[in-house]
Amino acid sequence: MRRRSFLCAPLLLPTLTPAAETRAAIAYPPAVPGVELAFPRDHGAHPEFRTEWWYVTGALDSPQADIGFQLTFFRSRPGTAEALQSPLAARQILFAHAALTVPGDRLRHAERAARANLGAGFSETDIDVHIGGWRMFREDRGSGEVLRLQMQSAQFSYDFTLTPSQALLLQGEGGYSRKGHAPQLASYYVSWPQLQVAGALVLDGKRQAASGRAWFDHEWSTAILDGDAVGWDWVGINLDDGGALMAFRMRDAHGATLFAHAAWRDADGRLRQFAAGEIGFTPVRNWSSPHSGASYPVEIEIRLGELTLRTAPVLDDQELSTLRPAPVVYWEGLVHVEGGLRGRGYLEMTGYADPLQL
Amino acid sequence: MLTVTDLAKRHRRARRPLFSALDFSVAAGEIVALVGESGVGKSTLLNCIAGLETADSGSIAIGPQALDIVRLDESARAALRARSIGFVFQAFHVLPTLTVAQNIGVPLLLCGIPTSEHPARTQALLDGVGLAGFGPRWPASLSGGELQRVAIARALVHRPALILADEPTGNLDPRTADEVLALLLERVREQQTSALVVTHSQHVAQCCDRTLTLTPDGLR
Amino acid sequence: MSARCRQTLSWWLIRAQFRSRRAATLLSMLAIALGVALGYAIHLINDAALADFARAMKSVQGDPDAVIAARDSAGSVPLATLNEIARDPAVLVVAAVIETRVRIDNARTPVTLIGLDLFSAAAVMPKLLPRQDPQAATGNILAGGIYASPALLGQLGLRAGATLTLVRGAQQWRTTIAGDLPAARPDELLLVADIAWVQEHFGPADAVSEGRVRLAPDTDLESWRSGLAQRLPAGLLVRAAEDDSARVSNLSRAYRVNLNVLALVALLTGAFLVFATQLTAVAQRSTQFALLGVLGLSPRMRLLQVLLEGLAIGAPGAMLGLALGYALAVAFTHVLGGDLGGGYFSGSAPLIVPALVPALVFLALGCLASLAGACYPAYLNRMQPLAQALKTGFAQGPAAGETARSRLPLLPLLLAPAAFALTQLPPLRELPIGGYAAIALVLVVGIASAPLLTQLVFGWLSERPLPAPQRIALQNVAQAPLMAQVAASGLIVSFALTASMVIMVSSFRVAVDHWLDHVLPAPLYLRSKATPLPQELLAALQQPDAPFARIERMANEALTIDPQRPKVALLVRELERRNPAARLPFTGPLLEPPADMPVVWISEPMAEIYRLAPGQTLQLPLLGRTVEVFIGGVWRDYARQFGAIAISRDDYLQLGGDFQPTDLALWPLPGKETAADAWLAPWSTRYGLEVADSAAIRQLSLSIFDKSFAVTYALEAAAMLIGLFGLAVTLAASVWLRARELATLGALGFDRRMLSRAVMLEGALIAVVGLLIGLACGVAIGAILTHVVNPQAFHWRMSLDIPWTAVLAGALLTLAAAVVASHYAARQATRLPVAQVLASAQ
Repeated sequence: MRRRSFLCAPLLLPTLTPAAETRAAIAYPPAVPGVELAFPRDHGAHPEFRTEWWYVTGALDSPQADIGFQLTFFRSRPGTAEALQSPLAARQILFAHAALTVPGDRLRHAERAARANLGAGFSETDIDVHIGGWRMFREDRGSGEVLRLQMQSAQFSYDFTLTPSQALLLQGEGGYSRKGHAPQLASYYVSWPQLQVAGALVLDGKRQAASGRAWFDHEWSTAILDGDAVGWDWVGINLDDGGALMAFRMRDAHGATLFAHAAWRDADGRLRQFAAGEIGFTPVRNWSSPHSGASYPVEIEIRLGELTLRTAPVLDDQELSTLRPAPVVYWEGLVHVEGGLRGRGYLEMTGYADPLQL
Repeated sequence: MLTVTDLAKRHRRARRPLFSALDFSVAAGEIVALVGESGVGKSTLLNCIAGLETADSGSIAIGPQALDIVRLDESARAALRARSIGFVFQAFHVLPTLTVAQNIGVPLLLCGIPTSEHPARTQALLDGVGLAGFGPRWPASLSGGELQRVAIARALVHRPALILADEPTGNLDPRTADEVLALLLERVREQQTSALVVTHSQHVAQCCDRTLTLTPDGLR
Repeated sequence: MSARCRQTLSWWLIRAQFRSRRAATLLSMLAIALGVALGYAIHLINDAALADFARAMKSVQGDPDAVIAARDSAGSVPLATLNEIARDPAVLVVAAVIETRVRIDNARTPVTLIGLDLFSAAAVMPKLLPRQDPQAATGNILAGGIYASPALLGQLGLRAGATLTLVRGAQQWRTTIAGDLPAARPDELLLVADIAWVQEHFGPADAVSEGRVRLAPDTDLESWRSGLAQRLPAGLLVRAAEDDSARVSNLSRAYRVNLNVLALVALLTGAFLVFATQLTAVAQRSTQFALLGVLGLSPRMRLLQVLLEGLAIGAPGAMLGLALGYALAVAFTHVLGGDLGGGYFSGSAPLIVPALVPALVFLALGCLASLAGACYPAYLNRMQPLAQALKTGFAQGPAAGETARSRLPLLPLLLAPAAFALTQLPPLRELPIGGYAAIALVLVVGIASAPLLTQLVFGWLSERPLPAPQRIALQNVAQAPLMAQVAASGLIVSFALTASMVIMVSSFRVAVDHWLDHVLPAPLYLRSKATPLPQELLAALQQPDAPFARIERMANEALTIDPQRPKVALLVRELERRNPAARLPFTGPLLEPPADMPVVWISEPMAEIYRLAPGQTLQLPLLGRTVEVFIGGVWRDYARQFGAIAISRDDYLQLGGDFQPTDLALWPLPGKETAADAWLAPWSTRYGLEVADSAAIRQLSLSIFDKSFAVTYALEAAAMLIGLFGLAVTLAASVWLRARELATLGALGFDRRMLSRAVMLEGALIAVVGLLIGLACGVAIGAILTHVVNPQAFHWRMSLDIPWTAVLAGALLTLAAAVVASHYAARQATRLPVAQVLASAQ
């Protein structure tokens, strides 16, 4: 599921909300079970689906411990201009979002948007997506494959090389990942945990060598959000012992869980999936945002069967607000996980400031 | 108050000097008449004393400091005139574009007397020359006699050490001339000022303390 | 003398002066006001027009750090190039734009249509962002909605939801208005749509018109731009904001400077009037100043007082001028537009916004002019011999007068060759500074030769057997000619300037007339404004039933050769390589081009701006690459001040160009003129084409020409009036100075009519002297304007053509006015009661 699937909401600047929808006519393919994913082909874009993202979150150990970073490319097919022949037709829109959490300091972030073919583009056969000078791509080197992340902004820039230490993790049923009780609410979801980070971080004009660990997600879908859902909570954690944990739940307006799923691959590569009934999310400590007034359960107790974990944020204020494509306020940041499993990763909480709109 | 020593002046292009070796003085409070035939150099002498023309040699000491106007530059002469000399002309020379009071105020401005004192001093002089209430009037509405009274007031208002009067009654009818002359002499005596009066009139000369006659051969 | 006392006395005297010389003071004040007003108005208007132009450009182009564009108006920026630039880490965003002109539902005038990309436009061109109308049941911008500026909506009488058809050549797009452009300027006629939809319907394929770049904040703009410029293909250029402002300012620079020089002339005439007034004031009050001097006013103060009085005229005059200038600017912009009819900026009246500093500068100029005018009178006053002045009044000049008089005739002889030498100088920073200086020198020569001529004429006349009063008056003038000279020089200056302008404008008009003959050979012309003619029409014209004997097609494009200069027109015409002279008015030899090289013929302005000559080769940024062409000749062009290049259609096609005609020259079959009009009528209605016969075009061109000189005429009329004022004032003063003499004559038995006639004769004679010299100077200045200023400032060459009838009629009119003015002076003189004058003068 996850993350800002609100992006597939009709894209448009706030002043441009259309009175009539033209995208109803577009037939988006649904995510269906039983499709065998092939790589690197399925690393590439699936432009016929409504929404797709390539998402890297990670934690650095140098130049400073617990610096969190995130770089995401979203692809959206709004259903407009489908009939145009022009190469500039706005059939595929790309958004990119980057954030950096420095403990004891503050969260920085930057974003970009463009239509494909006009200062931006994506590959349909491999990971390679860019907007201007921001780029995420896969490279086959003699020593093996790597992921490259490049972004620049006034506040921070980075150029990281991510070296995989483990195999891809296909979520759900071989990559078919359900997001609700209805079978059509699903996506294709591929994760790549435990990536070794090396490269350079430019912070406040200072360029420093950086290293750490990251998590890659690639997900494409057409419909994922249940009608009653107002938001979700999600974690993707690189465990200290080399294991990997992903868990999410969909919430309704009362904070009750509508749907949940989790997957834990231990250090030996054994995968354990948890059904909705085995999963519990319990707020332990809330943090109230001085910016939006929203209250986020930054410390959550997560129950996975017999396991109990607790999240602890490296910085309380990791709230983000973005204007593009639509104004959205949410919390997404680096947390430590303690309890039955120990590790570091990203927690995302949406729908606390305002219900997410689809 | 005025001491002329060994004064000589020749006209431009003229071979013979207009006058030479003139020596005379006017004591404080003394009124001296200067008479002589036309063309003998009375006006030139007067101009030299006023610093409007420069004598060829000799000296002219004016005022309590006995400054020699022959040796001053143009600006200093103007300053000396403003401070120490009062003028009465035959043609009155009252500025037609200023009021009577302003005309009388001009010397006060020229010698830098604070403007706060002007109204009182102007008024006193106007009363003194019998023109009380004439202050705001324009010269065009005044008769010749009245104009010359304005000129007398203007000559005395800044209490100069020396009055130079050039035919002060020449443009007036005999009766008015008598009145104006009497007024002039009275005011001059009252202020203890010295005066040199250039005149053709025997009557005027007689009214003065002393008479000097300028002839081609010198003073008599 | 304390400062306070000094001020009081000064103030008394200034007030007295104003009271006693109300008319002359007021006139001088008005003259200064006029000069300041004209200069200030020109400044305000031009400033506003430039700012307006820049604002308009900014609102449409935004405020990018750099713009990537094609050098050729037919060219475009390939998408691949733009996308490559976008990947540069130093680039924050490249906002791609397709800009084209379309006609709405076949309206005659095309409107700019901008196709933009919403995702990048916000960072560079926020003023172009559209607003969706919630009422319009249409798709948003990405779904193909179109957005019109409020002004355009008002003009069309349409609202959101309305459907319209956009037409460009044979291409059409039927779309719906989805909203408006809230940040568009109130007078902007503009359509905005998504870049893909515009490209889909009007092209260019796989390319855009421009990429507007926003760079990351820490980028060194200059080195980034120069680095990019080297990598760009030959057909593209990278343009900076400075280039844009330089280009805008270059657009009207010469015209602006020319107008400012004219305003300066007005100001100088104002200074002259202050001179005349103050000189006469000093003369008339010499007794009073002498008295003040006798009473003890220092010589320095006698000098200062006259200067102060000049300033007392100049300062209020300049203030009045500022107010008047502001009013004039507002009025002119409403009547003539921001370029005063010059045709450089289109659009409606710009907003006049006065700023403090220029206002102060013009205030200072007005004061300086009046001070300059008061200088010589102040000097004369300072030098007056007191005792003599007190007795006999004004002395004409210091003792130096005699030697000066003998030296004066030499001055013109020395200055005339200097003026000629100045005309031979090349332009300085593209402005005819040498020409302007030569004009100033010619005026000096004219004024300097006035005493000689005055003396000659009056001296000669006074020896003729004339009636006594006239002879006496003349003799007096001949012997003491200062006043006569002052009066004459005013006329010299004003008449010379007026005559020269008439001569220049007339020469220009004759030249334009000849030129129009040559460039309008066909009886009928058809054009579509900036959009290609429909193929259908071109095909129909080839059919045998079309009533035309001959058809010539042409296409107009524009090339950027230097980003800091306005574009150069590229005319693609059906010319024969060997015989272009049939259609272009060549000024020099035609050279045979090498067989393997394309040939172009460049216009005169093009040759001068880019320093090109026939026989050279030129690297032309054409069709996306650099093409080496041969310059076959130079032709005369008064229409395109910034240069034009003509190329034959065959060469253009051979180079790979796409010949899309925009204009047609048509020769109807003999006797079928009416049929031809009827044949064209449905086409012109259907496609919004403009059909005009050559007579109408000629008339329109000439009326535009006349309009662009409207301000010039106004300025010259003002100069002429000031000259006449000056004559009246100085004559009145000189009569006043001779009041005693005239009164004596009156007492001796001359009656008023005789005296008045004498004064009028004197005025007329002075005017004749002034007009004669003025005419000579006018012809000289006219020649300088025609042969030096026009070619250097505007790159227009023409031959001198003096309209003798108009010039002589003007001279006679001025003479008549001068006689009337001296009549006024005479009345003043004879009104003085004889007895009083004689009595007061002893």
